Amino acid sequence: MPWKDGYTISDEKSLFDNEIRWPDGKRVCMTVMLDLSLASGPQGLTAADLRHSPATFGMNEGLDQVRDVLNRYGIKATVTVPAAMARIMPDAILALRDDGHEIAAQGLKHEDVSTLDRDEEAARLAMTTEILENLTGQRPEGWFSLPRPNDPFAVGTVSPNTHDLLIEAGYGYMGNGLSDDIPHYWVTDFDAKRAILTLPYFYHFDDQFFLMFPKKGTGLEHADTLLANWNAEFDAQYRRGRYFNMTLHPYAVGWCNRLKLLEDFYVRIGDRPGIWNPTAGEAARYWQKTYPQKTALKLEPSVWTDYPGSLS
Amino acid sequence: MTDTEHLTRELDELESAAKRYDAQHEFIDDFAWPEGTQIAVNFTADFDTMLFRRFLEETPMQLAQGEFGGRVGIWRLIELFSSHDVTATVFTPGRICELYPQSLVAAARAGLEIADHMWEHHVPKDMQLEHDHIRKSTAALEKTVGKRPVGTRSRHTNSLLIEEGYVYNSHGSASHLPYYERDADGENCLINLPFHYAIDDAMFFSFAWLSSENAAQRITDPNRVFDLWWAAFEQQYRQGGYLNICLHPFVSGRAMRIEMLDRLIARMKTLPGVWFPSCEDVARYCLEAFPTKGG
Repeated sequence: MPWKDGYTISDEKSLFDNEIRWPDGKRVCMTVMLDLSLASGPQGLTAADLRHSPATFGMNEGLDQVRDVLNRYGIKATVTVPAAMARIMPDAILALRDDGHEIAAQGLKHEDVSTLDRDEEAARLAMTTEILENLTGQRPEGWFSLPRPNDPFAVGTVSPNTHDLLIEAGYGYMGNGLSDDIPHYWVTDFDAKRAILTLPYFYHFDDQFFLMFPKKGTGLEHADTLLANWNAEFDAQYRRGRYFNMTLHPYAVGWCNRLKLLEDFYVRIGDRPGIWNPTAGEAARYWQKTYPQKTALKLEPSVWTDYPGSLS
Repeated sequence: MTDTEHLTRELDELESAAKRYDAQHEFIDDFAWPEGTQIAVNFTADFDTMLFRRFLEETPMQLAQGEFGGRVGIWRLIELFSSHDVTATVFTPGRICELYPQSLVAAARAGLEIADHMWEHHVPKDMQLEHDHIRKSTAALEKTVGKRPVGTRSRHTNSLLIEEGYVYNSHGSASHLPYYERDADGENCLINLPFHYAIDDAMFFSFAWLSSENAAQRITDPNRVFDLWWAAFEQQYRQGGYLNICLHPFVSGRAMRIEMLDRLIARMKTLPGVWFPSCEDVARYCLEAFPTKGG
């Protein structure tokens, strides 16, 4: 087995708290992902996903309300947009961009690409990039593959080629990874030291898994648990001086008391000094400058040995 | 009249199955901790990172989730336990020595016990291969941290474990207190330090655990778990018992959960007579103070 292929995507250990610096002496970095996808499962957006009332709410009133909360509290978000949604709601996306939020790519239909061959995936990636660029006049800097509610795992899906294709297409960062709670490099080729910066995501701070989840049946409502997790993780990361990321879906968090809960969170952290709230792209650029792959990525040579009767 | 002979036979078989299994367990009468100790709390960390997920051939992003344990979580647990003088036990698949050797060296240097958690987090069905796996795991851990493990958390065969010098296992929950367990023939006795899934972070903080789906809703907030585990501790404290808290670095290593564990340990320490030994310490104490009656 070359290096630790299939076992690890990066170097052996994260940065310790005292090794992390944010711009202008800020204490913690907070990013907010606003996911416009309405895909319910691995197949990506289907007509059925769009033809029910929560979808309509999420594209209209729900989005307006969440957008209003973000703007009122001066929160910068990164909007994750499947190309299909860019076609469906171009004006809303441009309005979000004009508010100062970043527009990032999230696949053609936010579909699972894990079984596509490399050429097919590359073609879809190029098409997605082009559709978003045509809409905003800017190539998207980041790519996301956030989990969908009916996925087998709440982590997002990629193919063995995804990260490499993103590097090839000139993407600056991959928006969601779970190996760390700070930005980290996802290595695609150990020998060539080829890697793409990955930003942290964790489903325990993602509204969709707490609000009427699972999708099947009527779901269970754990809005209080969601807020408790946001508060607890923010406090802990603020103390450590690391990174906090929350993921929002307008159809979910935009509804009624949940919106109040989002406001409560922003009110609670509002008067704390030292919160740096960049877009994902700004965070990625800062990280690459301050912790460049060349010096920050410390890859150990493999000591793995293959044996008969053991994993390889 | 109905012939009930076969029904009686069925009942006989059930009775004998229960008795046979029961006979494998030897409970300790009049158990007591050393003078001045009211409860022993074993913090244990199952450090498999993504290894088991790899064995199950789960997806790259799932493996990356496990990787958090090796890159981040284990380091935070080492720091947490050191700051409280808690001698935790890290149950480690031997393969982790090839994936995260630095963290194991650091854990051992911090005084934590490094014990076995199966070579690749599973027990092969073939007994020869099983023995091979035990030897590989034991050798890898010894080589990395400089001390041969004496404990395991696994369903490995007792006779093989004993042959390789193991003195305790930590799995199963036939009693709140440490107990002896033999194989089906009533031979090869090991002391077992019980742990229960209700005191296991993965049951509260992880979707898609083993074969359960996301819809199984293993997701909650740290405050709720703090309350549940504090209640477990109090209940055992009152009766002079034992608590084994099972953590996974990729689960409990998240900042909000480390903070919760920090509060939990601090609160436990406000009571007199709380002992935070390694599993090896507990096992050796039991073997010495309450040796098995069956040999």
